[in-house]
Amino acid sequence: MSSNPSPAPPAARRRRRLDPTTPGLLSLPLAWLALFFLVPIGFVGAYSIDALSLYPGAHALTLAGWHDLVHGSVYLRLFWKSVEMSLIVSGVVVLCAYPLAYYLALSGTKRKYVLLLILIAPFLTSYLLRVLAWKVILGDHGVINSFLAWTGIRDPDHPLSQLLYSRFAVMLVLAYVWLPFVALPIFVSLDTLDRRLLEAASDLGASRLQAFRKITLPLSLPGVVAAFLFVFIPTVGEFVTPSLVGGTGGFMYGNEIVDLFGNALDWRTGSVLSLFLLGVVAALTLIFSRFLQVQRVTAS
Amino acid sequence: MRETRDPGERRLERSEFLKLAAATGGAGLLAGLGAGTAEARIAALSKLGAESGRLQVLDWVGYEVPQLWTQYAKLYPSEKPQFTFMTNEANALGKMHAGFKADVVHPCVGWVKDFADSGLVQPWTPSKLKNLLSLNPSMVKAGQYKGKQWWIPADWGFDKILYRTDKVKPKERSYNLLFDDRYGGKIAWFDDINQLVLAGYVLGFKKPYDQTDAELKQSQKLLISKKHLARMLWSSETDMQAAFASGDIWIAYAWPADWVAMKAKKLPVAYMTPKEGAISWICGLMLGKDSSRVDHAHAYADAWSSRQSAQWLEDNYAYGHANTKARPKDANLAKVLEVANPNALKEPHTHIDRYYRRRSLYAKLWDEVKAS
Amino acid sequence: MEIALSKNGKRTLRGFFALVIVFLYAPIAILIVFSFNNSDLPTFPLSGFTLRWYRDFLSNADLAAALETSAIVAVLSSLGAVLLGTLASLALARRRFRGKAAISALLLSPLVIPYVVFGISLLLFFHAAGIPLSILTIVVGHMVISLPYTILVLLPRLEQIDGSLEEAARDLGAGRLRTFRSIVLPLILPAVVSAFLIALTASFDEYAVASFVVGTRTTFPIYLYGALRFPSRLPEVIAVAVIVMTASLLVCIGAELGRRAAERRLGGLESPAPS
Repeated sequence: MSSNPSPAPPAARRRRRLDPTTPGLLSLPLAWLALFFLVPIGFVGAYSIDALSLYPGAHALTLAGWHDLVHGSVYLRLFWKSVEMSLIVSGVVVLCAYPLAYYLALSGTKRKYVLLLILIAPFLTSYLLRVLAWKVILGDHGVINSFLAWTGIRDPDHPLSQLLYSRFAVMLVLAYVWLPFVALPIFVSLDTLDRRLLEAASDLGASRLQAFRKITLPLSLPGVVAAFLFVFIPTVGEFVTPSLVGGTGGFMYGNEIVDLFGNALDWRTGSVLSLFLLGVVAALTLIFSRFLQVQRVTAS
Repeated sequence: MRETRDPGERRLERSEFLKLAAATGGAGLLAGLGAGTAEARIAALSKLGAESGRLQVLDWVGYEVPQLWTQYAKLYPSEKPQFTFMTNEANALGKMHAGFKADVVHPCVGWVKDFADSGLVQPWTPSKLKNLLSLNPSMVKAGQYKGKQWWIPADWGFDKILYRTDKVKPKERSYNLLFDDRYGGKIAWFDDINQLVLAGYVLGFKKPYDQTDAELKQSQKLLISKKHLARMLWSSETDMQAAFASGDIWIAYAWPADWVAMKAKKLPVAYMTPKEGAISWICGLMLGKDSSRVDHAHAYADAWSSRQSAQWLEDNYAYGHANTKARPKDANLAKVLEVANPNALKEPHTHIDRYYRRRSLYAKLWDEVKAS
Repeated sequence: MEIALSKNGKRTLRGFFALVIVFLYAPIAILIVFSFNNSDLPTFPLSGFTLRWYRDFLSNADLAAALETSAIVAVLSSLGAVLLGTLASLALARRRFRGKAAISALLLSPLVIPYVVFGISLLLFFHAAGIPLSILTIVVGHMVISLPYTILVLLPRLEQIDGSLEEAARDLGAGRLRTFRSIVLPLILPAVVSAFLIALTASFDEYAVASFVVGTRTTFPIYLYGALRFPSRLPEVIAVAVIVMTASLLVCIGAELGRRAAERRLGGLESPAPS
């Protein structure tokens, strides 16, 4: 597959205004998304007001689904619970991934690509199976509790049962799942950092901490923001992990949507909830992507 | 399907692949596509009269094994059914709603009316199903609606209480064990709206599958007030069996196969029939509305209903089968499925799952329980 | 003389890295152990060594076919997503135009849709458009899902590259294409490879969307989730996962060795390393 980025002839010379090749670059990805993403979402929109319906027969248009969302306390409460859990997970994961990426990119280790691969490789094992393996580790008679009992720290009849089937388990497993994924964009932005900047800072008498604060951190921020989005956004709609390790307390907004489509056959409310999630997170992305641009301006 | 796939299927895949190559810029590769398929199609056509093509079966993973439709394979050796997998009934309904032309689909009994009312399926013709007479009459009856046989029962199981006899001493034979304060944190509920039904039985309501608003409120209240006792809500047997075998839970809402599996693990377990009566799930086959292979579909359903298929299902998956002539080899399974008891699936001993007139409301209330 | 890290800092980070590796691989180790365990269920205590599950896999044509399907879908959808992602990132990083924020939000928006919803809506769309479900429909869906990931990897990289390099090349008379090939592409190649890997892993393991738009050729995750219905089918699937994991690690290591050999041949030439 060739990666020819500019199918338009290189005739253009005006660079400061709209570049005529820009539509050439953007048209394919935008058309793809319009056709295979926006149009399908249009269908969701149609279901949310009963313009389309699962059952045959005529239906009056209705905003009842939206009314339920706003006035039913359950949905919004679940939404905020998911946002909160997602924020914690993303924050923790980015904090953990940054030093990893930093070590790989800047410690001068010769094996950085091998190490990077080692970091990503667990991803090649099915997510579902890795979650099942976590249950073996966290269970009442699992690896951790057996170890605690063996060392005598805990009575085997009173294992740490909060480890599994709890909110903690959901967040731990999510963090586990995302960590390597998140290290990548940070690594990419740190790896391309111009080291001469750091050397210059050092020559000018800056300490390592100062150099980090004034140069490395700001320059790697786009990668960090990208990484944060990587985790935060999909986690809000997450449903597999909560249903596997969350026990009775792990139910999240994503599970609600799945249940509405999957068990209740209530596509209308399901569509409303989906569009709401989509809208909120799209707004957040918009804000963040402005932030990404601001970073670029300050960096150059 | 532990055999090599036939060449027709291979060619089909290759053609898909080529189409994709064309779509992604490699046009021109398409030449010569499908040259050999035409003859095969014509040959098959002449053999089957008006019906053509392979039977399209929308089924759960695991049910594609040929041992479950041997009789069909003998009848149509060159026309192996083609399987598309459903993840649950709503997923199947969604697929068919979006135009997937299934000849046969495999929902469970509570969904029969949902499917029938959706206009996506049609009733079977009982006279074309020889083995129908060998099937459990209570189950066959559960597939009738508006005087027609919409659904043919196949695999089934009980919903009862599984518990560890060394850890748990029930006060009575009742579903109440799922709400027993003494065993908080060691109990598994089933992640399904039928937990509201169960609560309805415990509370002694008349129609647990069609409770009044006030009754539903009470059932929901019971579940919410007891939810903290449940450690997990299981959605797959593997999940629950693993938790039970590892000692994370001692009490579970469970199926016969689970009791057999825990017995095999040498755990001291009992499978208790509650005084409220057991609940029973049954899944079965329905016929696609626009099926162009109606005779094939009947032959397929009849193959599924045969004693041989039933026997294989019982011996390999530890599920029950509607065919009353089948007897599982495993004595434990035979006992727990009550194969010798002709009234095993009759009221009030057992409540066969049924239609939820207000499925959405039940689902909403159950979600509120989970979200609480 | 290293400004980025002191000696102690390096040691601390190395220790942290090692800890994370343990954290990441503990579940994998568990899976490997249970793939040889003579029991249906992954629970302690272990009940003896067996190769049964590996043998079962070798004789299971369906499982192999599902793996093959997933591999094809993953490779094709990642190639497509990286192509689209590169185009979009070039425009976002190098061009000025109105509504950039809105367009970048649109490009990233597939990140936010719950996959179940996307799966259903895509299914409805394919139906309305009269497109039959097949391996292609999964590829289409996965390209949409992977596109934002590739952009999130490529964009920061492009934004760090000094635009004046390209301008210089252009001033020296290089055409757009040539500038891209000889300046931009080598500089972003590691990011392109990263993007491809992310898209590949995301697609290979994707279940929710695929479960709706899958045709008659099943993917591995769908097979896997379905297999959970029958505990007796689980160990076989675990064995497959171990095989996939091992194979892909070997491929990665092989690629890395090849890259090093090539580097050595090129001598001290500083080339951006494709991992």
